[in-house]
This record gives sequence, C-alpha cells and structure tokens, in this order.
Amino acid sequence: MIARVLTIAWNTGREAVRSKLLYTLLFFALVLICASLVLAGISYVERDRILQDIGLASIRFFSVAIAIFVGVGLIHKEVDRRTVYTILSKPLSRGEFLIGKYVGLVATIWLQTAIMVAAFAAVSLLQGAPLGVGHAAVFALLAMELAVVVAIATLFSAFTTPMLATLFAGGVWIAGNLTRNLRDLGADSELGLARQLTALLYGVLPDLASFNLSIEAAHGLPVMASDIWLPVLYGSAYVAIVLVCAVSVFERRDFK
Amino acid sequence: MRPAAPPIVRIQNIVKDFRPGLGLRRLRVLHGISFNVRAGEIFGFVGPNGAGKTTTLKILMGLIRATSGAASILGHDVGETAYRRHVGFLPENPYFYDFLSGREILGFYARLSGVPRSRLRTRVDTLLEWVGLTEAADARLRTYSKGMLQRIGIAQALVHDPQVVFLDEPMSGLDPIGRKEVRDLILRLRSEGKTVFMNTHILSDVEMLCDRVAIIVRGRIQFEGDTHEFRAGGEPEADIVLSGVSPEAVAALEEGFQARLRGVGERIELRVAEKIVNPVLRAAIAAGAEVISLTPHRMSLESIFLSAVEKDLARMQDAAARRQA
Repeated sequence: MIARVLTIAWNTGREAVRSKLLYTLLFFALVLICASLVLAGISYVERDRILQDIGLASIRFFSVAIAIFVGVGLIHKEVDRRTVYTILSKPLSRGEFLIGKYVGLVATIWLQTAIMVAAFAAVSLLQGAPLGVGHAAVFALLAMELAVVVAIATLFSAFTTPMLATLFAGGVWIAGNLTRNLRDLGADSELGLARQLTALLYGVLPDLASFNLSIEAAHGLPVMASDIWLPVLYGSAYVAIVLVCAVSVFERRDFK
Repeated sequence: MRPAAPPIVRIQNIVKDFRPGLGLRRLRVLHGISFNVRAGEIFGFVGPNGAGKTTTLKILMGLIRATSGAASILGHDVGETAYRRHVGFLPENPYFYDFLSGREILGFYARLSGVPRSRLRTRVDTLLEWVGLTEAADARLRTYSKGMLQRIGIAQALVHDPQVVFLDEPMSGLDPIGRKEVRDLILRLRSEGKTVFMNTHILSDVEMLCDRVAIIVRGRIQFEGDTHEFRAGGEPEADIVLSGVSPEAVAALEEGFQARLRGVGERIELRVAEKIVNPVLRAAIAAGAEVISLTPHRMSLESIFLSAVEKDLARMQDAAARRQA
C-alpha cells in the first residue's frame, strides 16, 4: 500500500515540478521577498520588522495560493482528463490514489515554501535582521496550515469543478482565519442561537489563526512548546478527518 | 472448436441506471445483462454506439458501480482491487500524463501494478519494442500522435503481464499497419494463454480475431455465440424469393420445411437450409408460386448484428404502440 501511495505521490510531485503555474507563483513570491529589502530601506524605523513582516506575509500568501490553486484541480483534473481510468484499473484503491495525490502535493508545496524560506533567510541575513526559534516555529506551523489547506482543496476537488472548489477552499481559508473572532463574538452575544451557531462554525471550520505565529516571530516574543505541538496535533487531526471525508466522497463517484 | 473453458469473467443480471442532471428521473442504460467470458478466449463485445459497451467495461473495471446484479473477474468481485494485478485495461481514446515520456509512463504503471524493481526496466523495454515505440521512448507523450498514444495505451495494459486484458476499441486511431500490428498482438496474447475481452463496433476485426461474441443493443444482450460457426460458414442456407403464393401455401412451406419467412407482400422471401432447396422449390411451384430468385446465404456476423438491431427496433416500436394504445 505504501509503495503505491508513494508512486502516486512521486508522480504528483513530478507533475507539479514540470508545471509552469508553480514556477510563476514562486517567481512572484521571490520577487516580493527581495522587494521587501527596498521597502524596508525607505523606512526610517523598524526596518527589520518591516522587512520580515513583508517577507513572512509574502511566503504565507503565495504558499496558500499555490495550495489552493493546485489543490482544487488535484482530483478533478484526473477525472476530467480521464487519466484516472487507467490508474484505477491497476491494483490501487481510490483511497490510496487520493492520499497519494495529497501527499505528493503537500510535499511539493513544502519544497516550494522551503525555497521561499531560504530566500527570506538570505534577505534577513543580508539586512542583518535577527532570525530565531520564533521564525522556525512560524515556518513549522505554516507547513501544518498548508497541509490543512491542501486537504480542504482536495476534498472539494473530489466532487466539484476547480472554479467552485477555488471559491469554497478560498472561502474556508478566509473564514478559517476569522473563526476565533467569530467564536468570541458569539460568546458575547445574548442570543442563544447565535452562540450555538458560532460555536458550531468554530468546531467545523479550521482554526487557521492557531497556525499563525508571525507576530510573535517579528517582535521576538517568546514561543512556548505548546504553541507548536498543540496546533500540530489539531492540524493533523483536522487533516485526517477531511481526508476521510474526501476518500468517502471519491469512493462513491461514478466515472461516466 | 475449442473445448469450453471455465469462465474468467462473469456478468450476472447487471442493471445500470444513470441520473441525467439533478432530477429524480433515471435513465436505464443496461437492462439486466448476463454473459460469461471463458479462459483463454478472445471475446468480442459488439454493439452500435451508445449500446452500453463502455458502461459494461467500466463496471468491470470498478470505475462505475452497477445499480444491481453481480460482476466478477477471476472469481473476485469487481469492487475488490488486489486481483487487478492480473488484469490489464485499455480505455477508449486513452489519456495519459503528457508531461511524462513513454518510458516514464510505463514505469509508473508497472510500479503501480507491483512489477518487481529488478524486472521493471526489462519489462518496459520489451513492451516498448512490442508496440513499436522504442525510438520514441524518451519523448514526452504530448508530442505523440493519436496512434502512438493508442500503442502506449496497449503497452500499459500489458506491462504487468496480466492474465486478462480488457480493450475498449483497441483499433481506434490506428492506420492499417497499426491495426494489423494490434491484431497480431491480440493473437499473440491468446497464444500465450491470456484472455482478451474486446469492445468494438468493427465487425471485420471480430470475425478475424474473436472466438466468441456478444452483441449488445440499447443495453440488452441480443446474441451470444461462437464466432467459429459463422466464420466456418455454419450450415449453408439459401434465400428463395417467390411471388403469387397464397397465405395457406406460405404457411405450409414454413411448417413443412422449417423455412423462415423474411418478407411479406406481393413477394415473399424464405430462408431455408441449402440441402432442402429442391423440395421447397418443387412444393412452391406445385402451389402455383413463381420463383423470382434463389440466392445462397451464408450467416455472417454482420447479418446477426443487423438482425439484432432490427429486433431491438421492432421491440421499441411494439412498446411505443402499446403505450399509445
């Protein structure tokens, strides 16, 4: 089973590496990271913080964009181009196929993010801006957030078109960054229904704010071990549940 | 004639309904079809476009699920996956990852099918040679012609040396030389003891290659039989066209000689066994008939196919008439 999943994953990675879209997004991300040098240069105060704020935001934005844009086509493209016919006629379950595609894309996006992180580190060192454990924590949690976003995109890709899947996955990402605010708003509400509804949304939607330690890193604030392992645990469980749903949907599909 | 071998593929009373659009209306595309494919034979699954051939094949490959009924390959339910290491499949107009080369795609399918790493390279090279793509092995598939993609499709279906091979329109997109090569390849598979299930609407290919055939029309099996019979000619028959025959005389000819009445009107056409042509003619002339023509008839797949389509059309017209009544 593992060999088959890895074969699909390796091939997914190979497809992504040979795709122009990823290189285009990666190019713009690297340009923006380098441009932060210029933007920081025209500021008189907190140059390091501006440089790193822009860099971290660029990495997060482009990594999530790649995760959504590539993730939403992950399964749909295979069905639409009918490449899935020959693959699923081999001794491979639909679940193995979907998990393989997911693993391959997550690994590719992590690799791309690592390239952006290397550029960010180079720019920071060049400018003399501090790099610490906080930054490592930011990137570890970003990796977890990307795994969650790809899982969500894969779920939508398993049953709808890339256009709708982009809207749904993008919407979930935006909502996922606001769920804490929503929960707090609901908790303050006097309406019982509003409290229940916001609590339900907080439970169903991913709490993506828990993966964001950019402020702590940029301001050099201390990061506790639990700030990392709790979100990683939460993210892993969320990915597992979303992938079980995606496999369940994909198993029921007829390829007409 | 080959002795009957045990069934490798069993299809029992398969029904498939699709829901077109979002409504509750169901469209039945397979109406309880049943047939078996025996070990070591080339089985032709024949039908006009839209008859349900590809749907049947997709059910066998687990790509779609039957609404009811049972299908098994090598004794395994088609919903299972492990047995598929013994099954090869070429879909109609196959699509592949065009960012890979011919060699890479075969390696990919071989790994998925569990071909051991030690044998993988040799097996891929052998298959590339079989389908005549050795020279184009390292070119990306996006540069391949339709015929080359069909060949790589056949190669991926065989890369793991399966026992049963399912081919959906295997001659599609091939030039005459390519068709000849694929025919030779299919015959080679049979000589190696493989079972081949072939969807096609090209009757000449079926007559040349297949041991047995099933004809499907509008989701119903209209004929299942041995192609050796009509390839060898079967029992010779003749068509006799007569005029001026009374209905009583026609009935007497039908009953007396087991003649099959094929046309009614001013002229009637009777199909009889060739060995009883003389007595039939004598009886017809004695009944006052005029003999218009006498044509030897040899049963062909085409005649069976056309008869199956006509039978289905008559059934549809009957059903429509009943609904109107």
